[in-house]
Amino acid sequence: MISSYQKTERKTGSEQRRQFLCTVMFCGMLMLLGKAIFLQVLEKDFLKHQGDIRHIVDVNVSAYRGKIVDRNGEPLAISTPVKSVWVNPKQVSDVASQHITGLENLLKMPHGKFTKIIEKNADKHFVFLKRHVSPVVAAQVKALKITGVHLDREFKRFYPSGEITGHLLGFTNIDDAGQEGLELAFDDVLRGVQGKKRVMRDGKKNIIADIEEISSPVPGRDLQISIDSRLQYLAYRELKLAVKSHQASSGSLVMLDAKTGEVLAVVNQPSFNPNDRGDLQGYRYRNRAMTDVFEPGSTVKPFVIASALDGGYVSANDVVDTSPGFYRIGRNVVRDFRNYGVLGLTDILKKSSNVAVSKIANEMPAEEMWGFYNRLGMGQSAGVGFPGEASGTLIDYQYMDDFEQATLSFGYGVSMSVIQLARAYTALADDGLLHSVTLFKRDYDEDSQRVFTPKTASNIRAMLEHVVEKDGTAYKARVAGYSVAGKTGTVKKIINGRYSNEQYLSLFVGMIPAQDPRLVMAVLIDEPTVGGYYGGAVAGPVFSKVMSRSMRILGVDPSFQRDQKKPLVLAVQGYRP
Amino acid sequence: MKLIQEGIKTLLDLRTYYDGFLAIAITSILIIGFVMVTSASLHLGDKMVSNPFHYPLRQFIHICLGLGVGAVILTINMEFWEKSGQWLFLLGLILLVMVLIPGVGVKVNGSIRWIQLIGFRVQISEIVKLFSVIYMAGYVARHQEVVKVSAYGIVKPLMLFSLACLLLLLEPDFGSAVVILTIAMGVMFLGGARLWQFLILAVFLVLLAALLCYFSEYRWARITSFIDPWADPLDKGFQLVQALIAFGQGEWFGVGLGSSIQKLFYLPEAHTDFLFSVIAEELGLIGVVLVIGLFTLFIWRAFVIGEKAEKAGYLFSAFIAYGLAIWFGFQAFVNIGVNMGMLPTKGLTLPLMSYGGASMIVMCAGVALLFRINMETEKITSSVPKGKKKWINA
Repeated sequence: MISSYQKTERKTGSEQRRQFLCTVMFCGMLMLLGKAIFLQVLEKDFLKHQGDIRHIVDVNVSAYRGKIVDRNGEPLAISTPVKSVWVNPKQVSDVASQHITGLENLLKMPHGKFTKIIEKNADKHFVFLKRHVSPVVAAQVKALKITGVHLDREFKRFYPSGEITGHLLGFTNIDDAGQEGLELAFDDVLRGVQGKKRVMRDGKKNIIADIEEISSPVPGRDLQISIDSRLQYLAYRELKLAVKSHQASSGSLVMLDAKTGEVLAVVNQPSFNPNDRGDLQGYRYRNRAMTDVFEPGSTVKPFVIASALDGGYVSANDVVDTSPGFYRIGRNVVRDFRNYGVLGLTDILKKSSNVAVSKIANEMPAEEMWGFYNRLGMGQSAGVGFPGEASGTLIDYQYMDDFEQATLSFGYGVSMSVIQLARAYTALADDGLLHSVTLFKRDYDEDSQRVFTPKTASNIRAMLEHVVEKDGTAYKARVAGYSVAGKTGTVKKIINGRYSNEQYLSLFVGMIPAQDPRLVMAVLIDEPTVGGYYGGAVAGPVFSKVMSRSMRILGVDPSFQRDQKKPLVLAVQGYRP
Repeated sequence: MKLIQEGIKTLLDLRTYYDGFLAIAITSILIIGFVMVTSASLHLGDKMVSNPFHYPLRQFIHICLGLGVGAVILTINMEFWEKSGQWLFLLGLILLVMVLIPGVGVKVNGSIRWIQLIGFRVQISEIVKLFSVIYMAGYVARHQEVVKVSAYGIVKPLMLFSLACLLLLLEPDFGSAVVILTIAMGVMFLGGARLWQFLILAVFLVLLAALLCYFSEYRWARITSFIDPWADPLDKGFQLVQALIAFGQGEWFGVGLGSSIQKLFYLPEAHTDFLFSVIAEELGLIGVVLVIGLFTLFIWRAFVIGEKAEKAGYLFSAFIAYGLAIWFGFQAFVNIGVNMGMLPTKGLTLPLMSYGGASMIVMCAGVALLFRINMETEKITSSVPKGKKKWINA
């Protein structure tokens, strides 16, 4: 079929071509080899570096935020590990629709939301879908195995006592940073330091290996505060009830340890629940007891008497004639509720006579009286270190005329916060020693200052015991089984620059037991509209209810001196937290 | 019954008449390929279908099917292929048309390359490559005189190939089109086409391909990104950059089997088109040299078998062997070149290694043809086979 001539001709020709093609292919393979050596030997450092850039990242390790506990170790603010769900929209593609629905149901999203998020953020690599989900939900999300949907560990702050400590503790934002209250004030201490670790990630940004820890997270320190959550609870409950039943606009209460100046309870109304911040409005989360000032009214009268006693301007047995029920100073008039006639010092406080304290005040040099007020902390912040803590104001003695001095003696022309007022009363409670106040637990106050002599202080306390007698202004503030020393205040609010005759502050400040006080408490009810407005009638009962239970919680022996009309039997209805 | 008996007899003959080097190359390629596919796909199977052995198991089935088909082909006389070459090519064209019919073809990643066949997705272009080899070998063997003397002799088969290429480009599958044209041109070159005619044709085809690339946005983007992948490493150059990193990380001895990081969703298609990058990362330069060496061994043995057949006068068989050498060699070269950034990205598998049913089975069939050719040639050239003493106890 094939001639021999053709055969030889083809043979040589095809031989060459075959060898040529074979050589070309071997050369191709050699080129591949050369390129491989180039990449794997010569360029390896550059390529490895490029690989590291893509594989290895430093990620933050969130630090555990310190707990806040009360004086007995009860947790008030704790951090719990939670998961946050996020998505990388660039990785999401072809997700089965039942998976999307499942995810939306788990995260309580409306239908179609997931797709919308993906479309809207198509050019991003990181979008939170839902932060702080429970471990159960997180596990279910993980089980869906949706490409591009990831979980991160974060901490969620939880406040076991909710609205009761809302104002005091404040809260953190979603990034675990303090925003209000103690969480803000002591953020540095609580926060800790975020750690960093170097990890290797796969192409879908999942961490596949920890390489090294660059810095370990330093957990925040725990904070033990002076609050006693049992007393705090009591105080909160009674204040809330009082504000509600008197339909007041707001209320505040501060309870101090009379010996150490520790704040045992501080509550306000209206309040908020820091665990559910859907309804955050500015007026709800102000810690009014610390940040809002008011004119203290009659509650400062005991200080005027004490100052006058210590200054030698009056003596314990002096009497003051308050007839005819008003006192003219220049063109101005100071009035009493009615004509009380001649009053001893005890009765001045018991009846809360403006005329009498004005006359006593005017006996004193303005500077000296101002000095007592100043030393009691008026016009200066109480120094607890709370964010936005108020200092109040105190009129300067150099510009004070007799009338202004008189009004100062019954608590106008000076403004202060509830905590400042309570603090001032420690000077009467602890035999003349004014205590510094603190939110931290301590055994002893090293910064106490003497304002009054012990004798004067105990005299005043004895006088103030009469305030809670049947014919005193605060009979409703009495505590069965314990002697109470206290003072009411019913303050006209300034509305449009004028003192109103319709809007009042109702105040009561008291100490218990009167002979050797353990606790000092100031109660303020703002604008009560139902059930009276006198301090004794509105604020007094709050004092009574809170203290009667607090005494038993603290195990204070009942006093037997005076008020024994309903002795220890009351212990039966004792409150057990 | 008789057919099966004869078939078994032929298979037993193979023990005597087989090419040892080719056997070593193929066995090594298959084993390394399977191990690497397993390594490169465990995480993917786990992620996609919650079964890490999803892909390895399927690849194992592919290999078994390939060996089965290969065994059948070993029993078939080469004459059969010579006679049916034209019909097979026609069948290939029909399949290429079928795949384009909506509802018949399956679309994956924007390309319609598959037909669903009894539960398997079959990539038609792989079958067409084998049929192209058979048709081209038959044509050159039959019309050698015409091929040698007239331009028409060269252009005529190319018309049919152009039709096939056109259908492939409609899928689109540019890579396969280039492969079958390369096979046709290569076989024609060896068939003795006039050099100047051949060169003009080659230049024309290269120009055509260049134009096609230039006027297709995504092909052009692939070419520009291949020239400097680091210019846009996050988008267009992404795949290539990831592959290059795999090579760098592998350096001399590799990061160790199973330890590749690049396969973990950095490399797209780590178990198919970019399997070689995983080999480079896990086995290092050593592995790369080994695999390239095995393919070189394969090419060499295919040429040797073809040469023997040619000398024995089996022209058709010889061109089949050359065609297979060109096909496997070119496709391996392109795939590895793409992995190393020497060539723009093409969707071509690494022969006998990459994951994929049709390519594995078809390539096993191609290898079986080589063994069959060798057997037939050896039987006729020597009554006492040369290889017997050497390999009988191996």
